[in-house]
Amino acid sequence: MLSAYLPVFLMLLVATLVALGMFTATSLAGPKKPTPEKLLPYESGSNTTGASHLRQSVKFYLTAISFVVFDIEAAFIYPWAALFRDLGWVGFVAMVIFLAVLAITLVYEWKKGALEWER
Amino acid sequence: MSDWLSIVPLLLVATSGLFIMLADAFSKEKAELALVTAVSLGTAGLVAVGLLASGSALPPLPEVLGSYLAVDELSLFFDFVICLGGALSALVAGGYLREHELERGELYVLIVLATFGAMVLARSTDLLTLFLGLETMSLSVYAMIAFRRTSARAVEGAMKYFLLGSFAAAILLFGGALLYAATGHTDFAGIGAKIGSGEVEPVLVLVGMLMVLAGLAFKVGAVPFHMWTPDAYEGAMTPVTGFMSVAVKAAAFAVFVRILVVALPGEEVASMTSGWPPVLIFLSVLSMVYGNVAAVAQKSVKRMLAYSSIAHAGYILLGLAAASVVGEPAISGVLFYLLAYTVSNILAFGSLVMIGSRGKEAVDYDDLAGVGRRHPYVALPFIIGVLSLMGFPPTAGFFGKYYVFNAAVQAGGGFVWLAVIGLLASAVGAYYYLRVVVVMLMKSPAEGQVVAVPMKSGYVASALAMSGAAVMVFGLLPSWALDLAISAAQKLIG
Amino acid sequence: MELGLGAYLTFASVLFGIGAVGFLVRRNALVQLMSIELMLNSVNVVLVAANRFHPDNHAGQVFAFFVIAVAAAEAAVGLAILIALYRLNRNIETDRAHVLKH
Repeated sequence: MLSAYLPVFLMLLVATLVALGMFTATSLAGPKKPTPEKLLPYESGSNTTGASHLRQSVKFYLTAISFVVFDIEAAFIYPWAALFRDLGWVGFVAMVIFLAVLAITLVYEWKKGALEWER
Repeated sequence: MSDWLSIVPLLLVATSGLFIMLADAFSKEKAELALVTAVSLGTAGLVAVGLLASGSALPPLPEVLGSYLAVDELSLFFDFVICLGGALSALVAGGYLREHELERGELYVLIVLATFGAMVLARSTDLLTLFLGLETMSLSVYAMIAFRRTSARAVEGAMKYFLLGSFAAAILLFGGALLYAATGHTDFAGIGAKIGSGEVEPVLVLVGMLMVLAGLAFKVGAVPFHMWTPDAYEGAMTPVTGFMSVAVKAAAFAVFVRILVVALPGEEVASMTSGWPPVLIFLSVLSMVYGNVAAVAQKSVKRMLAYSSIAHAGYILLGLAAASVVGEPAISGVLFYLLAYTVSNILAFGSLVMIGSRGKEAVDYDDLAGVGRRHPYVALPFIIGVLSLMGFPPTAGFFGKYYVFNAAVQAGGGFVWLAVIGLLASAVGAYYYLRVVVVMLMKSPAEGQVVAVPMKSGYVASALAMSGAAVMVFGLLPSWALDLAISAAQKLIG
Repeated sequence: MELGLGAYLTFASVLFGIGAVGFLVRRNALVQLMSIELMLNSVNVVLVAANRFHPDNHAGQVFAFFVIAVAAAEAAVGLAILIALYRLNRNIETDRAHVLKH
């Protein structure tokens, strides 16, 4: 029973070892000469400003919530895709209707300006 | 194609909902959307009543839809009631939004979606469709209450209803999941058959049933699950309050009827010693007494109507409890009651909208002082609506109460006493209903008070004309609607 | 070791109870919303576990899918209302919302 999962465990083990090995190798092989500039957080060369805990604009909320709603709908597509052949035309038509309804809601959201970042 | 015949009203509402969404997104003219909404919902309602009145046998649904939706006369009856409520609310909302300069098309979309959810709920024969219909309806209604998002009252009412409503939905769902765990079925018929066979864990069934009943009692606003009702009713815009009081309540009672008759019919769960009848009686008595007594103390007419809707839920629950003994007469009484209640409530809330105008809405008793003398034509529909809610002959409300109380008396035994309690509670109700009428006709507005000026709106006026005519027609000639209700109830019991 | 249905139901009931108590005790609307989500997830546990003991179809698992989807929609509407409330009141404490009273 569990032996079926052996390759998966082996792959996880190998992936972990490779990642750890790369980190260890670079930290051992590379030279270390720290200066104050090098210890700064990396911000593409510009100086950092303010604290790292920024208050997020409420605009993110609208995008996030749209994502959650549409993302969850994708959950219905997975089982359909897995059984695509068995479900035949009936399943296909049903999924087309489902996606059409989703598309209409997306068009609605778009035209209503919920996807505009600057308002 | 004729397979789909019996759910044509449902499909009409679904497609018109999508169409109205697109129309709202692409058109600038929002007021016409009210008319489109009302016509679509009205057509769906007429199709339903046409199918019902033709009396032809309904073909079974295509196999794809499984056993999730009912094909019966009861569903068509509720399609009619819910679509009627939705269409009239949309007309009232059209006038209201224009007058108060709130014109945004979302409200019409939400009305259609909520109507669709209510129709699915009323038609559900499976816990899955029950849940989906309930949530489609409820989520749309939460958003409708919060529609006026700069108003603290609206948002607060929406938040209270949302939190308590979701809590109640979770309780209902857990109860439903327990019924599934006990029986292995999510369809009502399967649950009923399995409970009848006696091979189930009685504790699971009992706990599951009580949780489902509690969730439904919340949706109909029965005491002690009524806490949200006054706040949500007062916070919402008046047309939305009207919609909530009719469509939401009708759909919740529809599924109540179906779940009791189909899923929980047997001796084990439907007798006086064990099961749902004593639970319903408990809820019913509390709602009738508390709703009527609390309504007396209100200053706001909207809040008074909210408490009166709790009392009405109590009368209807009394009819449902009596159904465990007499069956068909009680169920048809409940159906007629819901129809009468729908038109009367739309009439009352619609007139309340009509009496006010921008900057001066009619909400409190003081706002209504003397309206009857200054503007008799807007006061008249309100008075008819209130008299019908009170149960004054020859309005529709009178026959609603008569059939329900009559069924309770037929059930005999303790039910006679319940009917007496109901009558006494209605007498208290008569006090506060008549008090509004007296305020409108006799009282003069206080010195320096801004008086409500009626708005002018063809939409609202036509909604009032239609619902007023319906109140009188169902009151003077109740037999047509009652026959439809009786045939629906007979087919359900089989 | 094979667990009986009772074990799953006990676990789900405990989850449901934590959610219900959280909803009733806490006054922050966001926490109350999270409590409701916890209750819905306990429902999913019952549905999926019960499906294992009634394996003739997948009714329970399909139901759980729908519960997840509806919970997301519910969260969307709920958060929208909470944001509207926060814009008006600058807090989302439910016992401080009392414009509506008898």
